[in-house]
Amino acid sequence: AAMAGMLRGLRAARPARSLHRRGLGGAAGPPSTRQLREAEEAAPVFQYAGKAAKRKDRVFVWGFSYSGALGVPSFVKPDAGWKKPRRIQPTPYRLETEEKISSAACGYGFTLLASSTTDITKVWGMGLNKDSQLGFQRSRRDKTKGYEYVLEPSPIPLPLEKPQQTRVLQVSCGRAHSLVLTDSEGVFTMGNNSYGQCGRKVIENEIYSESHLIHQLKEFDSRVVQVVCGQDHSLFRTKKGSVYACGWGADGQTGLGHYNITSIPTKLRGDIAGVNVIQVSSYGDCCLAVSDEGDVFGWGNSEYLQLASVTETTQVNVPRHLPFKIGKIKEAACGGTGNAVLTEEGNIFVWGYGILGKGSNLIETAVPEMIPPSLFGWSDFNSEICVAHIRCGLSQFAALTNRGELFVWGKNLRGCLGTGRMEDQYFPWRVTVPGEVVDVACGVDHMVSLVKSFT
Amino acid sequence: LNAAPRRAPRQQIRFLPTPAPSGGGALELVPTRVPVLAEHPLVQGPRFRRLKIGAGHRLDVKASGVFVLGIGHGNKLLTDLYNCHLTKVYTVGGLFGKATDDFSDTGKLIEKTTFDHITREKLERILAVIQGTNHKALLMYSNTDMQTQEAYELAVKGLIRPMDKSPPIITAIRCLQFALPEFQLEIHCLHETQQYLRKIVHEIGLELKSSAVCTRVRRTRDGVFTLDDALPRTQWDLQSIQDAIQNCQLKVETEIEKTLG
Repeated sequence: AAMAGMLRGLRAARPARSLHRRGLGGAAGPPSTRQLREAEEAAPVFQYAGKAAKRKDRVFVWGFSYSGALGVPSFVKPDAGWKKPRRIQPTPYRLETEEKISSAACGYGFTLLASSTTDITKVWGMGLNKDSQLGFQRSRRDKTKGYEYVLEPSPIPLPLEKPQQTRVLQVSCGRAHSLVLTDSEGVFTMGNNSYGQCGRKVIENEIYSESHLIHQLKEFDSRVVQVVCGQDHSLFRTKKGSVYACGWGADGQTGLGHYNITSIPTKLRGDIAGVNVIQVSSYGDCCLAVSDEGDVFGWGNSEYLQLASVTETTQVNVPRHLPFKIGKIKEAACGGTGNAVLTEEGNIFVWGYGILGKGSNLIETAVPEMIPPSLFGWSDFNSEICVAHIRCGLSQFAALTNRGELFVWGKNLRGCLGTGRMEDQYFPWRVTVPGEVVDVACGVDHMVSLVKSFT
Repeated sequence: LNAAPRRAPRQQIRFLPTPAPSGGGALELVPTRVPVLAEHPLVQGPRFRRLKIGAGHRLDVKASGVFVLGIGHGNKLLTDLYNCHLTKVYTVGGLFGKATDDFSDTGKLIEKTTFDHITREKLERILAVIQGTNHKALLMYSNTDMQTQEAYELAVKGLIRPMDKSPPIITAIRCLQFALPEFQLEIHCLHETQQYLRKIVHEIGLELKSSAVCTRVRRTRDGVFTLDDALPRTQWDLQSIQDAIQNCQLKVETEIEKTLG
């Protein structure tokens, strides 16, 4: 450096400017506390979220994707040639939707999402459409044909009289049929009707694929407030507390006193007559109903000891009261082989057959057994944690706590539990979802959850 | 310590030649009790010249709280306590609105953000999620087969925890005080470092769409040793140390028996 300075000095025409000092002279040594404090106060403040920032609503899906039921087309048909299709999504994956989804239902290989908006499009469907369970989806390649597999959430056109006033309250999906409940226009049914599960007369040799037919059901004793689909039957619960059923009845799941097909929704009698039912549940061939006094009634298939506490027969075709002494029951969920109920204290009782959630030793029981609340995060440290909702898939159970955490257990068919592992889960296991889970819908091999973001 | 009274020296029986009491010049062997000269204080010297002191779980410079030391035989107990993998409890204080490079409030400022949108409810939601994911990690790193009935039984009792090396796991976390911009958390954790706790505070700030720095980390419990057993600076003398060791002996023994069998 000294050499350079001397050389510069030799070229006298240039003004002497030092190479070392670039820019203005700064402070020497480490900055003092006062300078630090002043620099801190002068720093700009960034705002990432204002006071009125609202929590966003999201939808997460996971499970088997080849049927298109997850609604992400890149899992089935990747967008780049070198990418491989994703057969199973083992952990929750966010699904982008245009509207806030208020109700979701998973069927056997297809999904329905509904929003309570007053726009024209209120229901979207994705997955299997071989029996028009998602309505008619016109194919873009050939305008005369429809899609057999719908890979993306596609709007389902409902024949509403007042499309800009009616709201969709709830959707439900069975094996090959679906039900849409609206607030003022009754229930819309679509899909397979070979057992009368859509509530209309069975037509011989009817072709269900690419059918435009969506049937509307309005004749009930009062407004329908809940629709539930079993495997091949449908249950309707009205405001007055009565239950109607239609569809296949060979296991007595219609509860009408016979084992035949019913194609018109008929009111159920038996132990339910006169009882104000507040919730109905079914997914396979067994059904459970909860009354406002906390009693539970069951009918349908009992091959797996679901109703063995009242009867030895394997099919029960009239609703029977299940005399369990476990406290007042708030909610019930019926799976394919196992059942679960939620009591007022927030405890879960399970019975039936299969992986019930109490370790690998408990495979079947006819009497309900409680799942210890410590498995759901309860401890002396957090004693306010309790279960708020219980849902069932065909061989899985899902429980939502009041803190918004989702616990799953059961058979992990094609990754449907969402734990990230492929093994069956014998006791409740947390699913990591980036948000507070508000609702979850379980299917045979996939699940959909409605989530609110944290902030 | 060396001024404390020592054990009396051992006595031995030796046959010493003494002149016979009956007269004459004959020498008799009479058994007498004499102290062993090898144990005489002037021969032996001070009893303690060096003390072996070992430290338990690390506590870094910016943190404070319970710090366990083992003296002599206690070093072996320290290893046993380490293998018990017991949880430690920290009180962590944080401040919203700032982000620094080393996550504490004495570091170089990187960013300032607003924090008036943060409520106690949002913070508790985030803490519930942190606890949930860490509980899952607790089960996963415990290396037990989830398909067995024993795993189910341990999980019900809450006794599953990793019994060998694992990444830091938080077993319980809750908010003690919340007064914007400050907040205090109580964290129960395993295998952690204090810098990890500061990082957790920073991440909580990020989750709440703001930023946070950690102002203090104080360990309130380390396994079986709580603040009540700990000696403050004014009590670092021999008597208090001896009393403290006496008091903790029983606790340590029972804990080691229970966990390691």
